[in-house]
Amino acid sequence: MATLTIGCFSSLVGSMSLDFAVKLAKAAKEKGHDVNMWVSGNGTMLSKKGQRAFKDYSYLAKTVEALIADGVQVTACEACAESRGFHKEDTMENFKRHSMDWYLAKCVVSDKVLHIGGE
Amino acid sequence: MARELKQLFVIQRPPYKSENPKLALTHAMASQTAEIYLEDGESVVPTLAFVGDGVLNVLNNQQAMKHYGLSSTENHVQMSLLIDLRVLVCKEDLEARGIGEDRLADGSALGADMTIEVLPFSAIMAEMEAADQLLFF
Amino acid sequence: MKLGVILTEQARTESTYERLQAEKLSVVLAGNGIYHAVVKADGKPSKVLDKAADFYVLTEDMETRGFTAGDLVDGKIKPIDMSRLVDLIMVEHDKFVWL
Repeated sequence: MATLTIGCFSSLVGSMSLDFAVKLAKAAKEKGHDVNMWVSGNGTMLSKKGQRAFKDYSYLAKTVEALIADGVQVTACEACAESRGFHKEDTMENFKRHSMDWYLAKCVVSDKVLHIGGE
Repeated sequence: MARELKQLFVIQRPPYKSENPKLALTHAMASQTAEIYLEDGESVVPTLAFVGDGVLNVLNNQQAMKHYGLSSTENHVQMSLLIDLRVLVCKEDLEARGIGEDRLADGSALGADMTIEVLPFSAIMAEMEAADQLLFF
Repeated sequence: MKLGVILTEQARTESTYERLQAEKLSVVLAGNGIYHAVVKADGKPSKVLDKAADFYVLTEDMETRGFTAGDLVDGKIKPIDMSRLVDLIMVEHDKFVWL
């Protein structure tokens, strides 16, 4: 088994790319791989606690909570989050916040990286 | 055990409408401090490659601070050069847009020794081959 | 280099994809990229399919948009699920990129 790090810049609502990233993380974890997940830019919306489920908007909070409980390291870019008004006290439990160097360091120790940067 | 990870950041979208090109630059610059999370001997070395409409990020005379109060993408390119990151720009994509090399950002104003490398796409493709990881923006 | 590419856009405005070269190249059509697999343009298959590559389409994204494997415009496109995509990324390619 190997380590996969996924980076994603896309927003929770307004794009389906973050859904893809979370689904891929879940599938990789289920196959026994170690998974790290980095959200930056609008992707930091994923870290916001108190997400409410509607059928017309992507809702990933429960899946992400389960991934974190299963050992997936999910981390938001702190500056990107702060710039959007998502502060530490607004962050989902056990959802980490670091600067961008955390992501690069995780890439160093990963066998594969999928960076979802463009939209 | 010493390990140097080579990453190629490929920026293919124009600046400002999307945050992504600037995030590519800030993530690349974050390599300077990634070592705090790494074991001794481990390091990450990003190279920036601008292709397609991404070449529009490296133009000089960007005035984002004047009009939006934002640091310009040009400034981030200059900062990248200042910290000795390689910045590659696709020759054919500059030519296709009628952009001369005199229009490219110059890091020397900040004291950078590095300069932008204008390369054919085939050379950038070779950089993709040589990199350990590819991150497209 | 064994390179995998995930295409998620229907309309393309840049030519990075067309210029990518690899000893082994795989293209995974996901998101709106699945339209290249199931919809023709001016009566012809998408030019995305002209690339010398192995083509895959993410079944769940195809079905989400109202299409099935029966709608594929070319028999060379293989429908896959997310589990198979994990193997493509983790085992069968050196690098994988999201264009």
